[in-house]
Amino acid sequence: MPKSKTASAGQPPIAPSGANRPPVYSRLSPEAIREALRRMHRIRRFEESAEDAYVRGLSYGTMHLSIGQEASAVGVCVALKDSDYITSTHRGHGHCIAKGAEVGRMFAEFLGKETGYCKGRGGSMHIADPAMGNLGANGIVGGGMPIAVGAALSAKKRQSGAVAVSFFGDGANNEGAFHESLNIASVWKLPVIFVCENNQYAMSMSTERSTAVKNVADRAAAYAMPGVIVDGNDFAAVAEATFVAAERARRGDGPTLIESKTYRTRGHSRSDRNRYRSKEEIESWRLRDPILLYEAEIEALGLATGAEIVAIRAEVEAEIVAGVAFATASKAPSPDEVTRYVYATDPA
Amino acid sequence: MNQTTRELTYAQAIQEALAIAMAADERVFLMGEDIGVYGGAFQVTGDLVERFGEDRVMDTPISELGGAGVAIGAALTGMRPVYEFQFSDFSMLAMEQIVNQAAKLRYMLGGAVNVPVVFRMPTGSGLGGAAQHSQSIEAWFAHVPGLKVVAPSTPHDVKGMLLAAIADPDPVLIFEHKLLYKVKGPVPAGHYTVPLDKAQLRRPGRDLTIVATSIMSARAVEAAAILMGEGVEAEVIDLRALRPIDRPAVIASVKKTNRLLCVYEGVKTLGIGAEISAAIAESDAFDYLDAPILRLGGAEAPIPYSPGLEMAAVPQVGDIVAAARKLAGGRA
Amino acid sequence: MAVEVILPRVDMDMATGKMGRWFVAEGERVAKGQLLFEIETDKAAMDIDAPAAGLLRGVCAQAGDILPVGSVVGWIVAPGEVFVVPVSAPQAGPTARASPAAAASQDEPTREAPGEGVRATPMARRLARECGAVLSEIVGSGPNGRVQARDIPARSGAFDLQARQRRAETPRQGGLHRLWLRQGEGAPLVFLHGFGADLNGWRPLLGHIRSRRPVLALDLPGHGQSPHSGEADLESLVEASAATLAQEQVSAAHLVGHSLGGAVASALAERRGFRALSLALIAPAGLGPAINGAFLAGFLQAGDEASLALWMRLLVTDAAALGPALVKTTLRQRAEAGVADAQRQIAQGLFPESAQAFSVRESLARLQCPAKIIFGGRDAIIAPDHAAGLPGLIAQHVFAGVGHLPHLEARREVARLIDELVAAGG
Repeated sequence: MPKSKTASAGQPPIAPSGANRPPVYSRLSPEAIREALRRMHRIRRFEESAEDAYVRGLSYGTMHLSIGQEASAVGVCVALKDSDYITSTHRGHGHCIAKGAEVGRMFAEFLGKETGYCKGRGGSMHIADPAMGNLGANGIVGGGMPIAVGAALSAKKRQSGAVAVSFFGDGANNEGAFHESLNIASVWKLPVIFVCENNQYAMSMSTERSTAVKNVADRAAAYAMPGVIVDGNDFAAVAEATFVAAERARRGDGPTLIESKTYRTRGHSRSDRNRYRSKEEIESWRLRDPILLYEAEIEALGLATGAEIVAIRAEVEAEIVAGVAFATASKAPSPDEVTRYVYATDPA
Repeated sequence: MNQTTRELTYAQAIQEALAIAMAADERVFLMGEDIGVYGGAFQVTGDLVERFGEDRVMDTPISELGGAGVAIGAALTGMRPVYEFQFSDFSMLAMEQIVNQAAKLRYMLGGAVNVPVVFRMPTGSGLGGAAQHSQSIEAWFAHVPGLKVVAPSTPHDVKGMLLAAIADPDPVLIFEHKLLYKVKGPVPAGHYTVPLDKAQLRRPGRDLTIVATSIMSARAVEAAAILMGEGVEAEVIDLRALRPIDRPAVIASVKKTNRLLCVYEGVKTLGIGAEISAAIAESDAFDYLDAPILRLGGAEAPIPYSPGLEMAAVPQVGDIVAAARKLAGGRA
Repeated sequence: MAVEVILPRVDMDMATGKMGRWFVAEGERVAKGQLLFEIETDKAAMDIDAPAAGLLRGVCAQAGDILPVGSVVGWIVAPGEVFVVPVSAPQAGPTARASPAAAASQDEPTREAPGEGVRATPMARRLARECGAVLSEIVGSGPNGRVQARDIPARSGAFDLQARQRRAETPRQGGLHRLWLRQGEGAPLVFLHGFGADLNGWRPLLGHIRSRRPVLALDLPGHGQSPHSGEADLESLVEASAATLAQEQVSAAHLVGHSLGGAVASALAERRGFRALSLALIAPAGLGPAINGAFLAGFLQAGDEASLALWMRLLVTDAAALGPALVKTTLRQRAEAGVADAQRQIAQGLFPESAQAFSVRESLARLQCPAKIIFGGRDAIIAPDHAAGLPGLIAQHVFAGVGHLPHLEARREVARLIDELVAAGG
């Protein structure tokens, strides 16, 4: 990937003194900054590999890729602890990896193997890692939203100080679940952060055609919570907004709605023929590749060296190779065990 | 009646269970519409909000989908919520969360989580609530792997089953027939549980088996008393557990009596009785059937408003007696 | 409600049957259990009884027609009932399979139930299988002529070991097993079967008896469903039978007895408190000293169908008269614990070493009512000449080409003779 020193669109170039260094970098250790890049690459390479497996006929079902949305996922998760919760969408691979999932087990789940995060029973749309606070991707649009609110309620009752992030897409913002979740969260002042990754299309339906307001964040006012719009391809902006929202939540001041404006360069799913948007539109966003933007920014700010960046890419590459090998070598679950894990009270 | 068992109404028994559970376990809390200061639409929660506070007895906005999801999210993360739908009919708004989420999360996540949520469902007809407030849709949920579904028919059972449900690590739906709320029965004080997967013999007999659910169990017992006078001994089994169904109990009974009548309030077609009939027909009891399996269920119509129609829409004692007579007389 | 008359399956491997002649005409009245038509199978012509009472209507098969088993050949409608022949007669093909795999009891392999094509409840089928009853010969009491458990001679629990043990412990409380094979009016006929048989052996004869009297059949001690409490002489067999008749409140009847049952009937005829209105003795025992002991021994010893069939072959002249069901039933009954022993005991007591250890000749000499003795000329078990020297008033009938089971091999004729006795005896 060519390096580019172009900063985020609309932002002035970074001054060598770092005087206009985005504030979020003060919150993050150098290791955290590098780890963020690592995770973004991990997401990108995972998605590309998953796509590769799919087109070769090696995987099953369909998949929803989040290529182009890495900064949004990682930007949010960098502000969270392992004990904080996220719920995610059908397009959840990025969130999972951003919350610390390892690619081997993700590949394994993807290929329907017993070693996958969900023992092969969930698949792409339901990947979860409860140990890391990831309550799961969800196949129902808006399905994870009330659940995140519930996790927030639980955190508040247990006084654990945890917050819950509900990732959802622009499509969900017209579901009843969105409205009910925001309302309840607000009325009960729950520590939940609603993060709408507005990639402007719900399948083929653009937000313009589907949503009564111009920005999803405009709806925050209806539920008496702050509505924040950020450039979803700008890691720093996303991260800062999340830190602020998390602090608000932990203080007990209630929820926030963050609208992360981004774009998915691939189709909705593999079956998508992209008839609803133009090649030009896709291409213009491709130039704003969030990973490239981030690499440029942290290098410019002296937070990482070129060599470190190259090393990170190489590490991730090796992880991917190992992960694919692990998944490929793993066994599929036995058909005799089709009803295993339905009930907690079943014999193990 | 000894000191530790006294007469309570079904509603009081539920309240007692909730109070015991909340007192014993901080993780238990209630959610529902009008369950706080109002005391619940059927006065089940009563003064629990005064005893446990608004943090434990939470009035929700009218948001069944959101509310159910919140309960599920809380259950996923260490709490034990009990969510009351004001009428089981309203659970339809929350179907997505109940069926797509609660029932499936554990499985989809390969056993990494469980969802210990309880949904309470006031159900059934007989109070003039008409079509949208009187349904018996337990069969819909009994059809879903991952859920546990029960329908206790006595104050004793509802208390014990609710306590068992709250302690159960899986999602449990309890269907409470509205006409039962004021029915009295002996209820032991203190904590006890009733299994969520066992039927209960209400009355032994040898001429036919009547398997009934919820309020139909009481009606079947009444019918059995009438039939006794005619020399027909009906064995009444209160199914109690709808998912899973206690097949061995029904099989054993049918092998003894050779005749089976299923009585349930849900619409007859594709209701609980359809499952029981099929389960018996494919079981060891098949060779012991001396008559077709009969079912009495709800009419193929929405529950009507006019009282006479409302009664005619679901099985009554007289219907049970007539069907049993026919069955026992070899004329089915 | 019109009751279907179907062409039943009567042999295990029968897929089609050939209609024989009708004995009742279209529109004629028929009684339940009355002989209705014949079917011709690979083995022999089979009599089919009417499944219900009423008028025969909608006859749609004639002699010579070849039809799948279960085909409807007519209807029986209640008098006055409006009847319209269904446009496409429902072909009630063999609907129920043999015991479905899932429901097969663990201890016995699945077996095709005899009488497929007949309406019968699963329980009735199982009981029929267990006792070897032929479903098509049983008149069902359920809707549409459906055979229910109560219609099977081996009523629920009959072969239940526990029940039998209970009965053995309380021998006289319930009396012998008995069945009213037919309802009717007037003084009843009482049928007493022979050694090693049971009351079901009378069924083929029954359809030919025109008399409208009720018919009661008993199982002798140690036979069929009756308990055995050590009876091993004629007097105790008679005692048990008499007590059973008393329980049924039968104090006067036309007695019909075969072989050993004939001896019982003869002795019963002169018991105080009982009035024999007539006496039909079919190949009766107790008239002479000898009996085919080898047959008895072989019969009792045979442990499988093949060997039993060989011995039972001696009972008839035409092997085809012995259906496979009869051999099966006999074997199955004997397989029940207690039955084999009981019958051995009885054989030992009554027929020691090829002899008949009892005689009813004196009872017959004192007989008052109309009586007939019916033998097959080729009876290989009891010689027909045993009847020689009996009182002249007792009619003697010998059917030349028939063996020890005239009521099977010459059923029409035997039925006619019984009808004559009933008419004569009142």
